[in-house]
Amino acid sequence: MRPDQDFDDEIRGHMALSVKERIERGEDPEAARLAALKEFGNVTLTRESIQAVWRPRWVDVAGALAQDIRIAWRSHRRAKGLATAVVLTLALGIGANAAIFSVVREVLLRPLVNRDEDRLIYIRQRAPGLGAENTAFSVPEIDDFKSRVSSVSAFGDFSMIEFPLVGFGEPRVVQAGVVSGSYFEVMGLHPVLGRLLTSEDDGPDAAPVAVLTYRFWSNSLNRDAAVIGKTIRIGTRAATVVGVLEPSVPYPADTQLIANVVTSPHHLGATMVTLRTHRMTELFGRLAPGATLEAATAELNEVHAAMMREHPEAYAPNGNVQLSVARLRDQIAAPAKTVLLVLLSAAGLVFVIACSNVANLILARTVRREGELAVRAALGASTGALRRTLLAESLVLCGLGAVLGVLLARPLVAVVGRFAARFSVRALDASADASLLWIGTGLAMAAAVVLAYVPRLPIQQTPTGPGPASGGVRITAATNRRLRAFAVAQIALSFVLLAGAGALLATLVALQTANTGFNMRQVLVLDVPLAIEEMGAKSVGFSREAIQRIGKLPGVRNVAVGNFAPWRDAGTLLPKLPFAVEGYTPADGEENPYARLRMITPGFFAALGVPLVAGRDFSDEDRRDGELVVIVSQTIAQRLFPNGEAVNRQLWWDTPLLGKQEPRRIVGVAADVDDENVVPGPALTVYHPLQQMPAGGRLFVHTEGDPYTFVGPVTRIIREISAAQPVERASTLSDVRTAVLAPERLNAFVFSGFAIVALVIAVVGVAGVLTFSVSARTREFGVRLAVGSSRGRLLLRVLSEGASIIAVGMAAGAVCGYAFVRIAASYFESVRLPEPLPIAIAAAVLVAAAVLASLMPAARASRVDVLRALQSE
Amino acid sequence: MAKPSDDRRLELLQGTLDMLILRTLQWGAQHGHGIGQAIRTQSDDLLKVETGSLYPALHRLVKRGWLKTDWGVSEANQRARYYRLTPAGKAQLLREQDRWSQLVHAIGRIMNPSPASKE
Repeated sequence: MRPDQDFDDEIRGHMALSVKERIERGEDPEAARLAALKEFGNVTLTRESIQAVWRPRWVDVAGALAQDIRIAWRSHRRAKGLATAVVLTLALGIGANAAIFSVVREVLLRPLVNRDEDRLIYIRQRAPGLGAENTAFSVPEIDDFKSRVSSVSAFGDFSMIEFPLVGFGEPRVVQAGVVSGSYFEVMGLHPVLGRLLTSEDDGPDAAPVAVLTYRFWSNSLNRDAAVIGKTIRIGTRAATVVGVLEPSVPYPADTQLIANVVTSPHHLGATMVTLRTHRMTELFGRLAPGATLEAATAELNEVHAAMMREHPEAYAPNGNVQLSVARLRDQIAAPAKTVLLVLLSAAGLVFVIACSNVANLILARTVRREGELAVRAALGASTGALRRTLLAESLVLCGLGAVLGVLLARPLVAVVGRFAARFSVRALDASADASLLWIGTGLAMAAAVVLAYVPRLPIQQTPTGPGPASGGVRITAATNRRLRAFAVAQIALSFVLLAGAGALLATLVALQTANTGFNMRQVLVLDVPLAIEEMGAKSVGFSREAIQRIGKLPGVRNVAVGNFAPWRDAGTLLPKLPFAVEGYTPADGEENPYARLRMITPGFFAALGVPLVAGRDFSDEDRRDGELVVIVSQTIAQRLFPNGEAVNRQLWWDTPLLGKQEPRRIVGVAADVDDENVVPGPALTVYHPLQQMPAGGRLFVHTEGDPYTFVGPVTRIIREISAAQPVERASTLSDVRTAVLAPERLNAFVFSGFAIVALVIAVVGVAGVLTFSVSARTREFGVRLAVGSSRGRLLLRVLSEGASIIAVGMAAGAVCGYAFVRIAASYFESVRLPEPLPIAIAAAVLVAAAVLASLMPAARASRVDVLRALQSE
Repeated sequence: MAKPSDDRRLELLQGTLDMLILRTLQWGAQHGHGIGQAIRTQSDDLLKVETGSLYPALHRLVKRGWLKTDWGVSEANQRARYYRLTPAGKAQLLREQDRWSQLVHAIGRIMNPSPASKE
């Protein structure tokens, strides 16, 4: 039944009957028609009421809400200051959350592009006993897995190697993946151009070919389709570019190209192929049809245990060597998880603070409007209608906040993405898209609904409340309590954030100012990488010539070559290796000590400002065919030799990785420097003369004046010696440290950003509560002044009110923060309670800010005009 | 501007209109005008239902499933919508009648307390 069309017929029928009746009673036809019309009344109104009967309920509600929103919009335009504060606060809260959630979704939730990515696993070998979280695999180990495991249908292997690359503009160093032909099939990836590698590219006789990664192709080569078929030189080999890989998550490392095994002579060598301890290959697998992750894990572990039984010499007994298997997606997300969850909770806190602040502002406003609401209630507005009015007002505010927040989130996504990319490359793909809108809208709706329920309605009030007649503001105890509760919550949460930011900043300062033992400002370090097979006579000759010629530049004090740039190379090269010394026998069950191995030229210590505490430096006379010598760090001398007298004692490496090693005589002891950790710890380091263990790749130049002015001349000299030699990443040691600390700095920066936002919101909140409380008590202050209270007393009174909010808030914050840390510590072992100093500083900042916030309302209270105050009601 | 006859007219108690409509339709289908007239004549002109209330009420009852409608031709030879009770409407009428008599009884005892009612 569609009443709207039929109703006119129904009316006509009604009229006809009515007229007929009247005519039958003897009325004049015309008069009867008029009377009938008059009797019927307002046709339009009746029609509308009938339509209302048939309309779904929500249409009415929505219509009323739309009406309310129009009114709300107008009412907000009258109170611009309040509306602006609310909108900005919400925008910050919504923007931060939307941005971080976008990154979280990209990193933790979105599936990979790889075909059947949930069947793709990453297998990791680790030796927690040696502190090695990922030892990778050796080729013999991988062969064992391939032949014995059936629940994994195919394995893909990937090892990374640094190549000097010639063929695309300036010579440069690239990270290259070296893979067997099964790799791309296992990973389930496709080319966007050309082809990928197949099993036909395997073996020593295949043609050297390389596939470019999408990021390299688009960022560095302008998506030039002509690269296919181009011949490039990587390391010592020429290779043909055969394809470009589709955009995909690079794991375990972001490389510029992926090449077949034949491009890397190292991969074809006997060490690589036969040595079970030569572990540099990452292993991926695809679960066989029907096999579960659990089944595959169990089978892999079984095979691994058998391998360890068969080759006990290849697995350190105290290494506690284990296998761990994870879905590739989870493996990629794992490192970023903690950081992102911390950020997400920080953003969540900011949102809660923002909401409670907005709640406060709205509550204060509603109290002023209690008279208006009472009038509405008296005129028959139901509780629902009043709530709807309030909901409309908060919807308008939250809607504006969401719009602004989403605009704010767009650039924020990029910042947070770059930050999180330190932990997971996937974060780089996070972009501002439509989902931001949904998140923003969701948060805004949640906030709006909560906010609409914050104020009490006059209907539920006791009759003593302000009646419709009184237009004045009278603040009730309950409202006051609510206002204070919100302010306290803001202070408490801000305190938690400030203390967290303080702790991060304190860590950063400690890292940045720790004494490293190096000459930080005057030493320039440059990467001059050589291909592995060039390290030999050529590298020694190259180093000697470079040192000689650069040393002649005016202003250069010392030049040296080494194989390790402090901090920058940490974790990328050789692991620590076991060694033994003459006259020191490890106690039962104790293993040989482990030391870092560094290769350096004479003058290294002088160039880096590291003093020799005993013995001599290397000299050009320490040749390959001469006596084998080493220099050790002070900690080795002190720990392993009586009275630290290490000079002239013998030392030898005890690991199959270096083959059979002769004893070497210790000729010097150098002061401890820790080139792996920015905050130095005791370092066991053994230095070899470069001539006796050829390596290189890092050039150290100690200069006068600004070190960076030497980059040009040094590069020129190196290119004169070898035209295709890459020279990269020139930087002073001090800047290396700064760069290495970038994640910490960004961490502290992002967190401090949150803390400052929280602080600003909280200060606005406290000031708002006090201002409101003062303005609502104008009369009280007037009376107090009239009966002789001094203005100073009033000022103090308001200030102490503010102080009590702060005190309670900080106490609550301390309790919350403590509980939070305890809970977090039970999930993440790296979480600790911060030092007292940053907490004290955070507290001081908060107190200072809050006192400033209370000054203005306090001053206003003390300036109350007695007469006006008393007349105001 | 009340007409003299309005003086003795009674306001319908809130909520009773639905019951009166259902009751009127107990004897068969009727159109809106007829229902209004029936209520008026059966109450000796004491109750008069405004069309502005009657029609929305009728539609409300249709929506709740207590009435059905058919188009027919009225005494005035005009197309008219006839309303008829559904089984659910009949049940509702019984319920409302019950409630009504309870209410009348209760109010009666309060307004006319008699020793007899104190048994």
